[in-house]
Amino acid sequence: MARLNAVDVALWGMRVTVVLVVVVGTIGTLVKDRYTIAQWVDFVVFGLTIGAIYAQIALGYTMVYGVLRMINFAHGDFVMCGAFAGYFVATPLDRSGYLQDHPVLGMSAILVVAVITSTAIALLTERVAYRPFRRVTGLAPLICAIGVSFFLEQTFRGMFGSAVKSYPSPAWQRSTFDVFGFNVPRVDFLVIVLAVFFMGGLYLIVQRTRMGTAMRAVAEDGETAALMGIDVNKVVVFTFFLGGAMAGIAGVFYAFVYKQVYFFMGFTPGVKAFGAAVLGGIGNIPGAMLGGLFLGMVESIGPTLFLDGLGIPAPYQLRDLIAFTLLIMVLIFRPQGLLGEKMAKKRA
Amino acid sequence: MSTMLATTCRGLAGLAAAAVITLASGPIASGPAQAAQTLGPVTDPIGVVRVPKGAPIQIGGMWVISGPDTALGLDEQRGVQIAFQDLGGKLLGHPLKLNTEDDQCNAEGGQTASTKLASNPQLFVVLGPGCSSVATPGAPILWQQGIVLIGTGCTAPKLTAADRKPEYDGFARTVYSDSEQGKADATYLFKELKAKTIVTIHDGSPYAQQVQQVTADNFTAMGGKVLSQEAVSPTDVDMHPLLTRIASEKPDVVYLPIFTAAGAQIVRQAKETPGLEKTKLMGGSSLLSADFIEATGPAVVGFVIGYPDISPDAMGKGYPKFVEEYKKAFHEAPISGYHGNAYDGAMLAAKAIEKVAKTDKDGNLYIGKKAFRDAVFSIKFAGISGPIACDAHGECSQFHPSVLEFTSADPKSFSTGTNPKKIWP
Repeated sequence: MARLNAVDVALWGMRVTVVLVVVVGTIGTLVKDRYTIAQWVDFVVFGLTIGAIYAQIALGYTMVYGVLRMINFAHGDFVMCGAFAGYFVATPLDRSGYLQDHPVLGMSAILVVAVITSTAIALLTERVAYRPFRRVTGLAPLICAIGVSFFLEQTFRGMFGSAVKSYPSPAWQRSTFDVFGFNVPRVDFLVIVLAVFFMGGLYLIVQRTRMGTAMRAVAEDGETAALMGIDVNKVVVFTFFLGGAMAGIAGVFYAFVYKQVYFFMGFTPGVKAFGAAVLGGIGNIPGAMLGGLFLGMVESIGPTLFLDGLGIPAPYQLRDLIAFTLLIMVLIFRPQGLLGEKMAKKRA
Repeated sequence: MSTMLATTCRGLAGLAAAAVITLASGPIASGPAQAAQTLGPVTDPIGVVRVPKGAPIQIGGMWVISGPDTALGLDEQRGVQIAFQDLGGKLLGHPLKLNTEDDQCNAEGGQTASTKLASNPQLFVVLGPGCSSVATPGAPILWQQGIVLIGTGCTAPKLTAADRKPEYDGFARTVYSDSEQGKADATYLFKELKAKTIVTIHDGSPYAQQVQQVTADNFTAMGGKVLSQEAVSPTDVDMHPLLTRIASEKPDVVYLPIFTAAGAQIVRQAKETPGLEKTKLMGGSSLLSADFIEATGPAVVGFVIGYPDISPDAMGKGYPKFVEEYKKAFHEAPISGYHGNAYDGAMLAAKAIEKVAKTDKDGNLYIGKKAFRDAVFSIKFAGISGPIACDAHGECSQFHPSVLEFTSADPKSFSTGTNPKKIWP
């Protein structure tokens, strides 16, 4: 039996501590019996809602990484661009009463404008900022992505101001409806269902279409794919197209649930979605979806379930700590992420 | 190998020497780093600023002038601009120049803004900030260079507490302390709303953390019960899980003296949280702005905030004239609540300059930094926010409590007195 060194001992200590906190905290919380079943259902619904949004954003990170081996740190700002575009359509539609009277058409119009805006900005970014770095190795593409992120944020700040803008909230969104005897906010239900629908659609595109097959081929080995006649440029553009579209949809959903838009709003969900993509196995599409949902659920339920029972005050202050500690734990056990595969030496 | 060893030894020797020097120099200096200086007719123990004939007297400013809390800082900056205007733009024959830095209402921004201002050798006073999280790191940085910070909107009790550290000796403020605000809020909650249980929420900022603590302590002392003291991050958007947790405690009131972005999310989402739909929510002075109304939407109607009484009756005699000047200069009514305090801060600085500055025969002006600091702490006058007279710890303002209630979700209707309107006392 191999001897344990100091690092192994520290890692095992960390694992045991986290497992103890989770188990003891959960038992303590359940024994306290402070929350009703309806409140636990609420925690789950809130977690699924934010998780579905993280998952959609995470898809953009994971697809670009899969094809270009590049972390597109501006992706969170594509989300912000979509949310802003949606705001400028949603506000007049709401004021005129159209969004209330024709929710399907109104929401469709908002989503279409948001998707067009986010996609256009994603494609423009790829063409102007990222393509010149395509063959460059090292940190230059990453720095370029961070630069694009700042550029987009400050451009929107300059154009629309730095104050927080309020997203419309038509009455049909504010109501709840019954799911197995529990009241679920309609907007949350809508976001979860539509996010699953759009992510399912994206998965089918990637798995079942010629372009999706080409994407997977480029992700596997770009040079060989090019030798086989695949137009790599076209595949990259298509990848940014899909990522931008998902970012636009996620931006509108995010804004409809949390009701605010401002120029810096893409940063935090962007970072979390990137964490979700890594958690699921970066480059893996179902992994990004699973990672997003996992992160959302842990953020929503974790502080109450794990820390309430331990008597820790103000547990929601620690929600990011809990979420990212669990993320680290998962990566310690499975460095390739939840659904990631071990990479061949060439790709790793 | 031997080269590596020699390099390592030299490195360790260097570290040891640095450690010895640090220990020998005693504790980190807490007062101004400058030595006594004589310039022209002035000798001062911590330095003298010389303003050449015709050159401007430079006064620093730091406020939040970007992001969700812009209205808070911009309103104070405008108050100072009107004070300069009332002084005729000049003092002792020198034009007045305001050098403003954006502090972003957070500790990092405050540190950067203060460091930048402290590097200007012509500065001896800085006005602002509006946020205690800025003043907390900023005041010691400025005082190291002998620069006085006159707080215009930062209300954390510790900044002017009797046991404050010497590095805050250069800090005074023309705005009240939240120890007063907390007492008033607790009184309103317990005696007016008849609340028996509350939950408080802070965002980790010195202002929010301290005012909710003072309120909680006073509320408990009156016989009420604080069920829990929760915390969020200023950038959090999903408050539903936290609010569901709070709903399980069934408090009479949720007290949230936090800033615009997170405050608006809580007020909005509380209305959608089962069990909290009808629970009374109360905020703090940081939420008095049109931006908060815009960010909160319809849920803002009925929301109340504890605030010093800035109705014309409670303010100084000059306040109505000031409001007219404000409207004329900026084509809108005051956009937040600390403009009067900022105006008085600028006037306090001007009076202190007039008291200590000396001019030589060539027309150059000299201001001793220690003398200026002492003048700020000793001057008394009737300000537009009320009487200004500093105690030994830099508290120069007087507090009159009030509670304001938002009456409309239209940001354009923002006007202290009507939206929000005074409902107590």
